[in-house]
Amino acid sequence: MENNPLQLTVSEFVALTNQTLEYAYPTATVIGEVTEFRISQGKWVSFKLKDAEAVVGCFLVLSQLRMPIEDGMKLMVVANPRLNNKGFFSLNVRAMKPVGEGSIKKGFELLKAKLEAEGLFAPERKRRLPRVPQRVAVISSTEAAGYIDFIKIINERWGGLAVDVAHTQVQGVPAPDQMIRAIRYFNSLEVLPEVLVIVRGGGSAEDLMAFNDEPLARAIAESRIPTLVGVGHEVDHTLADMVADVRAATPTNAAEILVPDRNEIIRSAHQQAKSLGYQVVQAIDEYSVRTKEQLNAAFRRIQEKLDEHFERLATLRLATAQLNPENILKRGYAFLRGEVALGATVEIETATEIAEAEVKNVRKK
Amino acid sequence: MVKDKTVQEKLSELSELVAWFQSPAFKLEAAFDKFKQAETLAEEIEKDLTKLKNDIKVVKKKFDTE
Repeated sequence: MENNPLQLTVSEFVALTNQTLEYAYPTATVIGEVTEFRISQGKWVSFKLKDAEAVVGCFLVLSQLRMPIEDGMKLMVVANPRLNNKGFFSLNVRAMKPVGEGSIKKGFELLKAKLEAEGLFAPERKRRLPRVPQRVAVISSTEAAGYIDFIKIINERWGGLAVDVAHTQVQGVPAPDQMIRAIRYFNSLEVLPEVLVIVRGGGSAEDLMAFNDEPLARAIAESRIPTLVGVGHEVDHTLADMVADVRAATPTNAAEILVPDRNEIIRSAHQQAKSLGYQVVQAIDEYSVRTKEQLNAAFRRIQEKLDEHFERLATLRLATAQLNPENILKRGYAFLRGEVALGATVEIETATEIAEAEVKNVRKK
Repeated sequence: MVKDKTVQEKLSELSELVAWFQSPAFKLEAAFDKFKQAETLAEEIEKDLTKLKNDIKVVKKKFDTE
């Protein structure tokens, strides 16, 4: 046996190896293809990362798994290399993300299917936003272009709004946890904001990956405050905006959804007042037309009554005329005045003459 | 002291006036006064909305650690 001064127990050897690894690689970032992915006892996640020539085991607790993983996906893991007490070398994963368009898309589709199956995108879960909120919370990076656009548009469109902003990272590994903390912070306030807005401008699929994080999507879905999410450009769809109560296509669009346009409201207020003026004029016109119609109807009725009375008068006049003794005389009759007795003198009046006559004979009819 | 009405309250009041014109309560005798009220409200809404500024505050709490 060689004369080696360093003699260690197995435990000491493992501890020393881990110390050396920790010194050499406090964290290692490793990229490879996932194989033998499995979840044990509902708690532990293990898989292997491989490339054409080598394989390394990876280990993490299930709660650290931020998106569904499948064999064949290409991952980048940030991990601590460890040799365990059973002599197995593995990477203790602290963070991971899919790499490459195919794997990012695969991870997105897997998580989307999972959340969809749980009903997290269901339209009936969606809450309406107040038409004119007075107090809102915003989660974004205050240095990001998307945030600056959002603030510019709300300032142009509206005033009197109290906006509390949580400054967080909106891309990179720490971003989802920071946004989750901000969501929890606003949800824990005694007086809740009326809307919780999450905005971020455009970027590559990898830049926007923070918004496809499972715990973040769940935190948005669980928010007591109605949520409005505007991430990326119009064509970008993230799980964060799918679970939100309202999806905005961009941060600018989020501002347009959040507050009305003051110029439009001013125009509308004047328009409404003006329309009432027209209604007053219209009502006066209608009243005058109606009054004229009523007067005309009254005049017609009076005319009808007068006509009736004139008609009746004419009939009476005719009847009266027929009873006039002069008219009877004109028809050839004569009046006889005096006593009709033998030898008496009577007066006979015709239409044109008055004669006196002696009664020479009287006989009963 | 009478509390100043908010823009929201003024907008609601304007909507109520508009609704009154469509309702059976409409009376020509009162309509002109209501119309003048609506005009005044529209003027005030314009003035209020033009001068209102948003109050944007970045919360002091840090979110990079628990």
